[in-house]
Amino acid sequence: MSKMLTKEDLAKYPFLDQSAAFIAGYNLTLSDLTAPAYSGVVDRAVERVRRSIEGGAGAATLNLGDTETEILSYPLALALVYASGARWLVNRFATSEAKRCEELLKMEAAPKLAEIAKSSFGWKVDLEDLRLEWERLTFRLGLADYLEVAPQFHSPSWKLTNKYVDKGYVFLDTKDFSRLLAENLKLRIIRKSGEEEAKNFELPAALQPHLSGILGLLEGKKELYEDEFPEGVVDEARPPCIVAIANDLRAGKSLSHMARFAITTFMLNVGESVDGVLKLFSNVADFDEGKARYQVEHIAGMTGSRTKYAPPKCEVLRSFGLCVEPDKLCATVSHPLNYYKRRVRAGPATSAPRGEDGRRGGRKGAQGRHR
Amino acid sequence: MGGGGAGRVHKVVIDEFRNYYSRLPAEQLDVKDFVKREYAMLHFGDQTMVRHLRFDSTSELRRRLVEEAPANVYYSSAYYRDPQADDMNAKGWEGADLIFDIDADHIRTDCKESHDTWACLDCGCRGRGFPPEACPKCGMKKIDTVTWVCEGCLDTAKAEIFKLIDEFMVPDFGVALGEIEICFSGHRGYHLHVLSDSVRGLAGDGRREIADYVRGIGLDPKEHGFRQVPGNGPILGPDMRDGGWRGKIARAIYEFVSGRSQEELRAVVGPVVADTITKSKEKFLQSISDTPPHWGGMRGYSLESLLKIANAAAKEHVCNIDERVTLDVKRLIRQPNSLHGKSALKTAEVSYSDLEHFDPLKDAVAFNSGSIKIYVKEIPRVRIGDCEVGPAKGTEMEVPMAMGLYLICKGAADPRL
Ligand code: SF4
Ligand SMILES: [Zn+2]
Ligand SMILES: [Zn+2]
Repeated sequence: MSKMLTKEDLAKYPFLDQSAAFIAGYNLTLSDLTAPAYSGVVDRAVERVRRSIEGGAGAATLNLGDTETEILSYPLALALVYASGARWLVNRFATSEAKRCEELLKMEAAPKLAEIAKSSFGWKVDLEDLRLEWERLTFRLGLADYLEVAPQFHSPSWKLTNKYVDKGYVFLDTKDFSRLLAENLKLRIIRKSGEEEAKNFELPAALQPHLSGILGLLEGKKELYEDEFPEGVVDEARPPCIVAIANDLRAGKSLSHMARFAITTFMLNVGESVDGVLKLFSNVADFDEGKARYQVEHIAGMTGSRTKYAPPKCEVLRSFGLCVEPDKLCATVSHPLNYYKRRVRAGPATSAPRGEDGRRGGRKGAQGRHR
Repeated sequence: MGGGGAGRVHKVVIDEFRNYYSRLPAEQLDVKDFVKREYAMLHFGDQTMVRHLRFDSTSELRRRLVEEAPANVYYSSAYYRDPQADDMNAKGWEGADLIFDIDADHIRTDCKESHDTWACLDCGCRGRGFPPEACPKCGMKKIDTVTWVCEGCLDTAKAEIFKLIDEFMVPDFGVALGEIEICFSGHRGYHLHVLSDSVRGLAGDGRREIADYVRGIGLDPKEHGFRQVPGNGPILGPDMRDGGWRGKIARAIYEFVSGRSQEELRAVVGPVVADTITKSKEKFLQSISDTPPHWGGMRGYSLESLLKIANAAAKEHVCNIDERVTLDVKRLIRQPNSLHGKSALKTAEVSYSDLEHFDPLKDAVAFNSGSIKIYVKEIPRVRIGDCEVGPAKGTEMEVPMAMGLYLICKGAADPRL
């Protein structure tokens, strides 16, 4: 164990390489953990997963009274999450673990944070103490490590252009550095779920009942967290802002950058193909297929970037004057995609006809949602 | 794609390209981790690229070039486990060099007025210089261009590549000169390849951040410390010695205010503030270069005006790269020392120390002997090596081989045998 990290640290940050080493020291396999002696560990693991599903404040809690259970239950919780095969549970678990760690990391001393970054993530990081007029940048992180994670954040302050960059390093304060660490943890949990090892992983039989319990819980919460849209775009479920932009396009008007971005991201996110999106634009006078395709593919995360862009929130659309004629449902959502989800789930019966031709649902998906 | 395509194929060009490759020592085709690169070729008269090639050695590549004398040869910026697999996913991507492309074609230069023309394909309206986005007469966007490249264009591209290296790669990104390769593209610009291991694994979104950085996209001076202490307190801001865009903005403002006319300043911040600053220019410049700098060292302008100057000044420090090349993790780029099918010049590697005196129209010439008779359709003044011709139209002449092939490859002349 590293001199700097205590057993308590390993409990706080069970993702650390040192925690794995700690567990390895016990010479335990996952099946061993199912023995009655470890029932506390199993219970805690299940609790971790449950809490991440239920969400809310303190989704992932910490029990420092029993560091051993805390450390041992983490890989078991992860195993249950991967074994569920539910992509959104993986995301959910990763997000809540990241949030929990971020809160704790922010309070740590700089040398410990640097140690965690180096030893568990292999980051190239040094302690600096750069004092600027408004801030104090304590860390110096290698550019490549920064760029591995920071593009996940979309606020302008995370753009490399707006960072203090010098000789291959990005300078960061403790708050930003903790945030990056936590986000990297999240990315690792999610990425690992795509690896063969996690995909082919077989849960020990004794743990199956716990997995079933978790799956049952998932089923009950599905409505809340549904992030998979039905196949085929349900035109009738689009919110007024998107319908208005689509109508402008059909009329051949040329759009502001934000309007283009909004409709492109929206359509891609509800499952429209790149070609389908391009078709929307084909009436516009200055349409340049090659250029547009490149832009749409980029937004779809096909060229270069791995990230698929999400459409802007209502608040943003509003400030760009794109929120036109919001309806009743609009009053209850803060994101156009939520509007769409809700409408799709509600089916055509409750959705007031708002399209310019008053067409109602009936396409595949609108009804298929109801179980 | 230059040099291939529908244009007429001339046997003399193919023969000369073949001669060039048979004279070329194979080791001049070497690139880092040669066997991990995908190769691609485009042949004269062809529209489609032959892709997914892999070579065991540079001599094997050279043999193929002699056999086929292609118009253009490319290799992948990416390193693959199986470069020859024809499904992109099966190739096994292992990383990629970071590439920057600077093309004079995309930069507005004054010389374009003297050598470029454009025509609207819809109404036939014509003009000279940098092509407009849309036809000024009918508003359509189908614009056909005839572009040439002159010393002025190439000097602008060179200045841009120096800026990229000296103001971004070395000071900000910490790239060592030993980790970069500079290439004249063989036609209108330069490529910079960054070969460091640290950038190899960068994904597309990380590369986009780098492209945005050198282009100054999303730059917000407020993020770099330009803020006012609440309660109408002093304006604080960056120091000229700071790293990254922070220091660049501070230096840019200094240059802008010291070097610009009052008129130009007025266009940015309006007459009142511009006049105030101009009147006490010395004092302004002095206080912003103090340690620590005083950005509100005198009365008569607001933080807002300062931000306007910052934005205008910063624009002049951005680097004009073609971002698509940089953010692509599997780009095909020109093979060093291969010929460019649109110019018959070679893609020439230049060391940083030679760059200043590098003359692409001379140092990238691949054919140094022989002459050829050509029929010239229409050309502006053109120089290749020490030979200058034009402007000329509808005339026959005998010129050195390099000049002849250049004009033929540009589609502005035909060989006369
Ligand atoms: S409230 Fe949101 S979803 Fe509704 S129209 Fe406005 S932006 Fe669109
Ligand atoms: Zn026209
Ligand atoms: Zn020119």
